[in-house]
Amino acid sequence: MTDATLSNTSALASQYRTLKLRRARRAGLLKHIFLIITSLIMIYPLLWMLSSSLKPENQIFGDLSLWPATFEWENYWQGWNALPVSFTTFFWNSTVVTVLSVIGNVISCSFAAYAFARLEFSGKTIWFALMMMTLMIPYHVVLIPQYLLFLQLGWVDTYLPLIVPRFLAGDAFFIFLMIQFFRQLPRELDEAAMIDGCSPFKIYWAIIMPLSLPAMATAAIFSFIWTWEDFLGPLVYLNDMKDYTVPLALRMFVSQDSVSQYGPMFAMSILSILPIILFFVVFQRLIIRGIAMSGLK
Amino acid sequence: MEKFFRRNFAGYAFLAPWLIGFFLLALGPIVASLYLSFTKYNIVRPPQWIGLDNYFYMFQFDDRFKKALQVTFTFVVISVPAKLIFALAVAMALDKGVRAIGWYRALFYLPSILGGSIAVAILWRQLFDYNGVINAVVRWFGIDGPYWLSDPRYSLWTLIVLAAWQFGSPMLIFLAGLRAIPNDLYEAAEIDAAGPVRKFFAITVPLLAPVIFFNLVLQMIEAFKSFSGAFVISGGAGAPLDSLLFFTVYLYNEAFQFLRMGYASALAWVLLLIIALFTAIAFWTSKYWVHYENERG
Amino acid sequence: MSILNRRRFMTGAAGTAGSLAVLAAFGGRAFAQDIAIRHFWWGNPERDKRTFAVIDLYNQKNPGTVVSGESLGFADYFTKLTTQIAGGNMPDVIQQGYGVLFEYIANGAVVPLDDYVGKSLDISKMDESAIQAGTVDGKFYALSIGANSHMAMYNTRLYEEAGIKVGENFDPYGYTYDDLKRIAVEIKNATGVPGTDDNTADYQNFSDFTVQKGANLYNEDGSFGPTQEIVEEYWSIWAGIRDAGGTPPGPESAGLAGVSELSQLGVVTGKSATSYLWSNQLVGAQGLMQDPLGAAMYPNTPEMIPGSVIQPSQFVCLSRDSSNPEAATAYMSAFVNDPEMTAVLGLERGIPSNSDVRAALQSSLTPPEAVSVAFFDAIQGKTAPLTAPPPSGSAEVEQTFERVAVSVLLGERSIPEVASDFLAQAKAILARA
Repeated sequence: MTDATLSNTSALASQYRTLKLRRARRAGLLKHIFLIITSLIMIYPLLWMLSSSLKPENQIFGDLSLWPATFEWENYWQGWNALPVSFTTFFWNSTVVTVLSVIGNVISCSFAAYAFARLEFSGKTIWFALMMMTLMIPYHVVLIPQYLLFLQLGWVDTYLPLIVPRFLAGDAFFIFLMIQFFRQLPRELDEAAMIDGCSPFKIYWAIIMPLSLPAMATAAIFSFIWTWEDFLGPLVYLNDMKDYTVPLALRMFVSQDSVSQYGPMFAMSILSILPIILFFVVFQRLIIRGIAMSGLK
Repeated sequence: MEKFFRRNFAGYAFLAPWLIGFFLLALGPIVASLYLSFTKYNIVRPPQWIGLDNYFYMFQFDDRFKKALQVTFTFVVISVPAKLIFALAVAMALDKGVRAIGWYRALFYLPSILGGSIAVAILWRQLFDYNGVINAVVRWFGIDGPYWLSDPRYSLWTLIVLAAWQFGSPMLIFLAGLRAIPNDLYEAAEIDAAGPVRKFFAITVPLLAPVIFFNLVLQMIEAFKSFSGAFVISGGAGAPLDSLLFFTVYLYNEAFQFLRMGYASALAWVLLLIIALFTAIAFWTSKYWVHYENERG
Repeated sequence: MSILNRRRFMTGAAGTAGSLAVLAAFGGRAFAQDIAIRHFWWGNPERDKRTFAVIDLYNQKNPGTVVSGESLGFADYFTKLTTQIAGGNMPDVIQQGYGVLFEYIANGAVVPLDDYVGKSLDISKMDESAIQAGTVDGKFYALSIGANSHMAMYNTRLYEEAGIKVGENFDPYGYTYDDLKRIAVEIKNATGVPGTDDNTADYQNFSDFTVQKGANLYNEDGSFGPTQEIVEEYWSIWAGIRDAGGTPPGPESAGLAGVSELSQLGVVTGKSATSYLWSNQLVGAQGLMQDPLGAAMYPNTPEMIPGSVIQPSQFVCLSRDSSNPEAATAYMSAFVNDPEMTAVLGLERGIPSNSDVRAALQSSLTPPEAVSVAFFDAIQGKTAPLTAPPPSGSAEVEQTFERVAVSVLLGERSIPEVASDFLAQAKAILARA
């Protein structure tokens, strides 16, 4: 190799590198502009709620500015104790129901999904179709039959109707979600493990689950958010205010025919989404590139 | 017999929680709603068997049923692709190389957290008001904006924007899916000097197909059943001029406002069949464009 | 299949789940020896505090009975009650509004109180009109806990700025639609704010107007009262005010058709100077705005035939599912008569129907409450008698009115065309119900 060709290639390489860098930088800038504009649109409602939560009642609807003229921190304290039962109780109730639901959903749905995605058994197609059907029926028409069923079981006025179905893979959304992710995992792994004499449960526990961390984290996040926000279930099944969850309590602030408390309602709405954001930020860390996967390819 | 048992045992063992839940908790209410769809049932008095009358009435006389179908179809056809494209774009922008990515993700998820709450209804009215933020922006370009919420020609668009704006859950699923694509594939493509467009169509789309398929099916089902946004923004009855009469809003009014639970159940079953038809079509076409990387042959 | 009644059918569906019932032990509640009474109402933080305080009072005074309270927001109350009706486990004492009460009576979800009157239930101090309002087909069903009437709420600052003065050029208890048009336009010219909300799609105003024209909203035989002429005239009057600039533009008002959210009213958002509501909503509306509100009746025609009625805003009723009606009615009786308990409740649910209670409350009124009370004193003798309860299907007719009126507001179709369309639909709805 002569010096000339060497310098030639290195010049080409550095040219290629600067070109790539410039292209990356331009793409990066565009990406950031896109992200910043989008985030502004995304955060607007939160700012609006935050500002409403700090305004005195009589200025929330007349005055449209985002910056409150005076800061009514009172709204937070008032909101927390506005109802005969304090929000401490509502937050605790919501936490219990939500945490149990997340656990139930992740375990039971991943079981069912593993069966559908990886195991062979007769009747699989029919069960799959029936499972999809449970996703399609509008909730409002099964509400009353379901209520009668839980009434017969003596579960009304307890948390059981909200929690037990979660442990019985009641939400087909998660099953289908996990199926799609499980099917992406290399089959060779199962086959190798099977030859080594691993039981299906061992494969599920030692191979499928660890490799599906992003999918599980996604499912956990969704099931946290949806349970935390669910209000129709608690509305129908809980009678005692001491058992109410946060969303149900929030709906008691606004009244048709008397004084409403919008300020405290917005204040409590802000507080009610904090646990969601926290859970989200912590769990989204698990949505990472599957290490094993790129190694195996 | 023993062979049959052994072949099916693992599958049914993993499916057991779902099967128990399906037979004990889900199936009963679904069958009950099917039965109720053949009755006249005002909730207080026992249901009266009237055969197919509900269905005859629906298809022969009920203009609002047809209107509801039309509104819902329009919504599904426009909002689902819009939401998915937006979700995928943001997910790809967030996939790598962005600082504070966790907070960005949380930020983009914010609108979905707010769901169909009273706060969103009030906010939407302020944004799309004739003198609201949206028209202020439009006026900046010298256009006199319409009455978004009260003009039946435009009101559905506000709901479509709302749906697209709440793109958090498909985005998160896309993110988890993107994370499952091995990085070395992109590196290999780069060596072949493939541009971003080619990389997108040659690598991202085929490998993401199972997740795209999942999001498409689920968002379609959700859009057909979409309720709370339309309910709170239309004042509960689909106003103005039924332009926001989503199928489930109509169904809810029939069931809980006018106490025609039997008729509402019939509506629900028609919707179920429509959704099932579209889902079946999606599954059938998926054979041609969704390939599970590891399920050869 | 038709002999299968609902209960038996559902039991069958649930029967398979029996083995799981053992799980229920975890969630079961211990029942004491005391008589348990459940009281269910729709409310808001203020009402809940007061009602729970009243329940505590009652439980202290009456050992042996334990009343427990359950409360939800208005929007959710009926969804839940509907579910409980289906389940046959309604609370003993339930709150009802005037509009829906009759559906519940007709359906048998609410039972008559006649057997308890004079025994566990004392109604001797109740206004005769309130008792009448809770009576259907000679049976007494519902105990009024607050009176109500239609009220025009106006922004006093904007009225003053336009030089509209009560007693000089504005009589809040006897003005015509022509007066309203003049006032509304003057306010618009003086302040830039349209003088009134547009009630084209407001069914309550329309029902008042029907009575003002000497017709009934529903005839004795349950058919719909308003004629083509009445509907057309009503919409033409409002079109006149709108075209003169007295209301916000038509499309603006169309967006509010059927919206009952207090915070969206023109008078609250500052988009108009007058909004039309129920009188017990005055305190709530005032709480959302800074300018003080004044109260007036709805406008009338030059003939001045009374159109508004005074009717109970809320009732307490005994539900079909009560297992101890004596104890439940005793509690209901204390709820409307007991001086200590009624003092705690105050005017929060409307003007009380018990004359002694009203007198006792006079001294402790807040400014908006005082406006309400003064309004009530002023409209006595200027209101129409209560009419027959609306037939089932009336809620749907109301929703239909709000819907079709939007095409009038948008100017899409001519008033006569929309009016005949509306009447045809109303007829079909009532025939189907």
